[in-house]
Formats: sequence, C-alpha cells, structure tokens
Amino acid sequence: MLMGKKAGGFKGGFNLLDAYPLKFCNIVEDISSDGTPETFHFPVPTQKVEHVIVNLCPTEPWALPNWVILRHKTTAFLSVLKEIKNSHFSSARFYIAINEKEDRTVADAKNFACNEDWMSVFPLYAKYPQDDPVILTKVILGMDVHFGQDTESLGVLILDAQTVSSIYESCILRKNVNSRFIVLSGTGLKENEILNVQLGTSIGKILKNKSKEVGRYRVFINGPLRGQEITDLSQKTDWSINHIVVLEEKDRKVILPMIKPDELVLTTNVLGELRRCVSCNFCDDICPVDLEPALYYHSYTRGEKHKARLYNLGKCIECGLCSFICPSKLELLEIIKECKALDKQK
Amino acid sequence: MKKFLKPVEPILDKGLDTVESFIHTHPKVNFLFGSLFGAFDGLLRSSKETTHTQPFIRNNYDVKRFMGAVLVALVVGWVLPAIYFYGWQGVVSKLLVSFVIGIFVVDVIWAIIARENHISEGGFVSCLFIPAILPPQAPLWLVGLGAALAIIFRNILGGVGNNLVNPALFSRLFLTICFPALLVTGYQTPFVGMPDPHTFRYGLDAITHATPLTAFKANGEIASYLSLLLGTASGSLGETCRLALIASGLWLIKMRVANWRIPVSYLGSVLVFSVFFSLIFGKTVAPPLFQLLSGGLIMGAFFMATDPITATYNQTAKWIFGAGCGFITVLIRDFTTLPEGVMYAILLMNLLAIPIQSLMVKIRYRVQE
Ligand code: SF4
Ligand code: SF4
Repeated sequence: MLMGKKAGGFKGGFNLLDAYPLKFCNIVEDISSDGTPETFHFPVPTQKVEHVIVNLCPTEPWALPNWVILRHKTTAFLSVLKEIKNSHFSSARFYIAINEKEDRTVADAKNFACNEDWMSVFPLYAKYPQDDPVILTKVILGMDVHFGQDTESLGVLILDAQTVSSIYESCILRKNVNSRFIVLSGTGLKENEILNVQLGTSIGKILKNKSKEVGRYRVFINGPLRGQEITDLSQKTDWSINHIVVLEEKDRKVILPMIKPDELVLTTNVLGELRRCVSCNFCDDICPVDLEPALYYHSYTRGEKHKARLYNLGKCIECGLCSFICPSKLELLEIIKECKALDKQK
Repeated sequence: MKKFLKPVEPILDKGLDTVESFIHTHPKVNFLFGSLFGAFDGLLRSSKETTHTQPFIRNNYDVKRFMGAVLVALVVGWVLPAIYFYGWQGVVSKLLVSFVIGIFVVDVIWAIIARENHISEGGFVSCLFIPAILPPQAPLWLVGLGAALAIIFRNILGGVGNNLVNPALFSRLFLTICFPALLVTGYQTPFVGMPDPHTFRYGLDAITHATPLTAFKANGEIASYLSLLLGTASGSLGETCRLALIASGLWLIKMRVANWRIPVSYLGSVLVFSVFFSLIFGKTVAPPLFQLLSGGLIMGAFFMATDPITATYNQTAKWIFGAGCGFITVLIRDFTTLPEGVMYAILLMNLLAIPIQSLMVKIRYRVQE
C-alpha cells in the first residue's frame, strides 16, 4: 500500500521511492568547472546547538542515495561524525535518521551506538516528506516547528550526509572542498547519473550530451515536487543544488493512455483533465500535517481568500502532495501560497 | 490487445487530430459539437495540459478513473446479476434507453444551451443508477424519463462538483410522486436455476406485487435471509443481489473511491437502531438482520450515500452523515406507512450534509466569525 496511515510517525505522506523507482549507474562522473571553483565554508551556528539530526533517510527517488557518501561503511561515517561532535558540538546530542529499509546501515549504526551515549538511531519509514525539517523535528524530537522557521534558533541543526562529509573535510582535515555530488535523473535523460561537480559549473554544461535528443524537456533543480524550474541553463551550480531532474514535456495528447500507463509517468503532463473538486478526500488523506486542503480551494473559489487562514493554513509545509494527488488536477499548492501571501501583506 | 491496437493507433490519432482542428476552425460546428467531441476525445486520449506550478509532476489518477471505477463496480454489482435474474433483454434495453436519453440527448443539449465545454462522466454513473432503482418491469419510457430528469436536475443544481443531492435518487423521488402506481407494481419474480434461452432473454413471466419489505408491512412475513442475500427475493432491478453489491462495494472501498466510513456508519446505525426498536416494540417492527438485507439499503449504503460530492467533505462529519442516514431509514421503515426509507434518508441527509459540514469545520478549527 502506498499510503500507510500512521506509518512513519505521521499521517498521510506518499511513498515516492516505490512509485518512481529510479536506477542509477554505480560510476560517479567528475565534472570540472570552467572558472575558479567556489569553496565550501561551513557556517558555524552562532547559537548553542543542542540537537543535531543527521538525515540519512532521503525520501525522494531523485535525491542522493546514502551509498554514495557512506560507501557501505557506516561505522567509518559515524566515527567521522564523532570527530565533528568533539570538535564543534561537544554538548549536543546526535540523532541519526536512517531509512529502515537499509538493514545493513541500520544494523551497523545500532551496533556503533551501543557504546556511544551521545547518539541515538532512528530507523524511519522513508515516505515523502519524512525528511522535511518540520516533520523530522516533530517525529524525532517531538518539537513543533513552523514551516519556514529557522530551526537553529531552537538549537536544532539538521544535516544531510553530504554536508557532514564536507564539514569533516573542510573543518577537520582542512582540505579545500570545492566539489559536490549532484544527482541527475529523469525521463528527459538518456540515463540517471550521479556526478561530482565542481561548483560554479553551469547547468548547461552538466546537461550537455546527456538529454534525450527527441522531444522537449524541462529542467528542475531540487526535484519536481518542491524545487524550481529553471529556464536559464547558464546558471551556475552552488551549494544549494542537491539534484537536477530533467523531465519530458509531453504537451501533446497520447492515444489510449490506459493501456500504456508508463508513457506519461514522470513527465510534466498533468495526467488528466481539470475538473471541479469532487470532495474525494484524497488531499486530506495524504496531507502529512493533517490539513484539509479542499477547504482552501472552496474558500478560494467563493472569493473568500482571507477565510483560508482560519483553517490552520500556517501549518502547511508546502510539500505539494495535495496538488500531486488531486484527481481533479486542482492547483491546491498555488492556492495555498496565494492565501498565505495575503496574510503576509497585512 | 496491445499488439492488435498498435497499427490502429496512429490512424486514430491522426483522425482525431483532423476532426479537432476542423471543429476548432469552424465556430458553428464547435458551438454544436465541440463538447461532444471533447467528451469522446477525452475517453480515447490523454490531456495535453502540462504543469506550470509546483509540484511539477502529478499523480496518474484522475476523475475519469474515479468514475470508471464506479461504473465497473456497478456493472459487477447489479448489471450482471440482473441479467441473470431478469433476462438480458429487459436490462440491456433499459440501460440503452437510459444512456441514450440521459447522456446523448439531454446532456448534449444542455451542454449546447449552457455553453459547457465538456460533458461530464458523472452522467454515466447517474444513468447507470436509474434502471437499478426502478422495478424490473418498469416501462422503458419511465426509465428514459428518469434518466432525463436525473441529468436535468444535476445540471440545474450546479453540475458535477456542486450538486446538492444525489440526482438519480432525486429523479426517482420525482417519479414516485408523479407515477405512484407504476412504482409499486412490476416486481418481477427473479429467475432461479439453469437458464434456457427463453428465460435468459426474458426472465420469468411471473409478477409479484410485493417486495419483502411491503410483504412485511402487510402481514409480518419475513423473507429468508439467504434469498435476500443471493437476490432471489423480489425487489428493484438492481438492488436484489446483495452479495454482488457488497463485494463490489468493498472493492470500491479498497480503491479508495468510496469512503469506508459511510457504509460502516450507515449499516452500523441501521443495526443499532433496529435492535433498539425491536427491543422496545417487539415483533411490530422489522428484525435487525432483515432490515440490513432488505430493500435498497446495501446499494444505498455502498453506492449512493458514498457519492463524495453529496456527502460531507470532513471525515468526522461522514460518521454523522452515515449515522443520520441509518437513523432516518429505520424510522421511516418502522413507524410510517412507507415500506422503504433509504431514498428519503439519503436525500434528506444530502441536504443536511451542508450544515453538518460547516458545524464540524467550526468545531475543528474553532472558527469565530
Ligand atoms: S483531492 Fe482535489 S478533488 Fe479531491 S477533495 Fe481534494 S481538492 Fe477536492
Ligand atoms: S502542501 Fe500543505 S496542505 Fe498540501 S499536502 Fe502538503 S502540507 Fe498538506
């Protein structure tokens, strides 16, 4: 079943890993920049850090898989983490969130944690958006964080595997870190790849010779669900780019779509016709923070945007699942953002 | 199947493209047939819209599949059993009349008059309900009238997505008021056994005038539970074979088209209230199990009350909605002169769904206005 109700510590959510299984080739290709590459500097938090959550539970199939950084040597990674703790966050407690399906990693981490009292291991069910900061702090620490709030001000630091290894290399080994793993995937490409890119390389250069020749494609940085579309391919890569997803455009009608279900999957086609809300409850079943997105839609179509705020609008973490699942293809996330913007204007 | 279709695909695709561009370049043709073509095209081809806002991928599940699942469930739940029990000729001709009048005449004309840009697939569901809730021997013109009324009501009340009450039930209510005599007669006796060509075509020639519920009202007679479950007791065309209805209803729940809360609370409250009333009034009211298995309750609970548009959106409110349906059904069956109350119960709760919904929302979010 794709939508486990309570599995993973929160209601709703969607298992993207099962819905869009992506295969990567095991070779990591290096791409060097044209100009002088940018160097990584870890901004050491000014506030006292009490909790550090290490996120080894990517829930999006196009995110960096754990094996790239861990290289199946979990213990080595955790020793690195220990060094970072001792030098930077000596009073903090570490929480390692791991995809529960990766048995080896979980078992190794648990073994390691036996002798270490500064860390605990959390095997989590990897359904999207389990690794969202709001959900992660809620599930692991039981703390309520608002969407968009800076967790560092609460003494919580959330790191992913890649950042941990970069911190180690730059702050402890004192090496010059100027490259980063970027995951390249999607239906618009010949194959899915993991690249080690020197920062400052343009996205156009990365994609060169990698996209399929036929058909139009669109490029999204940091995933098609929460990321941004980019049209200017001369944009340079920086530390905020984790993955690039290239999707086929498919802006034409496909005949007999029911007998070829794969044809349109993972393309930008909306996969259906726009209809009015049929109150099917799909959106509130899937919402990870237990909201009822259709209420926003109803307020919006009635011209009462200001009313949407009354229905806990501020709790929405903008994961986009409601728009994703809606069979009437309503732009629920767009409506939510518009209603939120109205709030800010006041 | 796929191999067989492969060579036809490009031809079909080309043909549809040609028709489409012809329609779009001729405003007059578009005015008359645009929506009809749109509906036909929509059945064969996917949409060409692409996403422009986050999220940029969408799930492969649309309203068409949603309605398609209901249609499949209804065919398995009542059309196939009805063909066996009452003969194919009656069932097929009624379905044809219902579809042709409901969709190809009334809905198309409406789309032209009201300048709708598409014909909704919801009409198929309503038209598939109409023959099911009329007696097996109902004349064809009654079926046609029912389908026409259902579609007209649905469109007047705002079309799919806005309708206040279940259009098929509303049309049946209208027919009950206008032609009371026709709706209490014509309950053909279901056929049992190995069908020969004659019975397979016409069913049995015998007509009873009593459904199990009217028989109970008249002389306290209780039909056997097995006959109610299998569909060998008389009743409306589509409501008799409860076993098939339950099976396909459960499938709909599994497909997440029907919300499980409504059948559970509806059937549950019928059970609770009928037990309650039998304890107080004894033999004068129908026993609980008989109530559960008779009349249109199973069909109503799994297929009609669950119509998401006319139920409440809030999930907690769905419990109240279902329980209300059950309560009214039992009240009408036990304490009025009417033998059956499912139709009235669902229609009434459809109307009450709006205040229940807004009340639940107010409680949940503590909205002060
Ligand atoms: S998923 Fe879409 S159609 Fe279904 S209730 Fe939510 S807004 Fe309405
Ligand atoms: S975008 Fe907001 S309302 Fe929609 S599913 Fe995500 S958290 Fe819920």
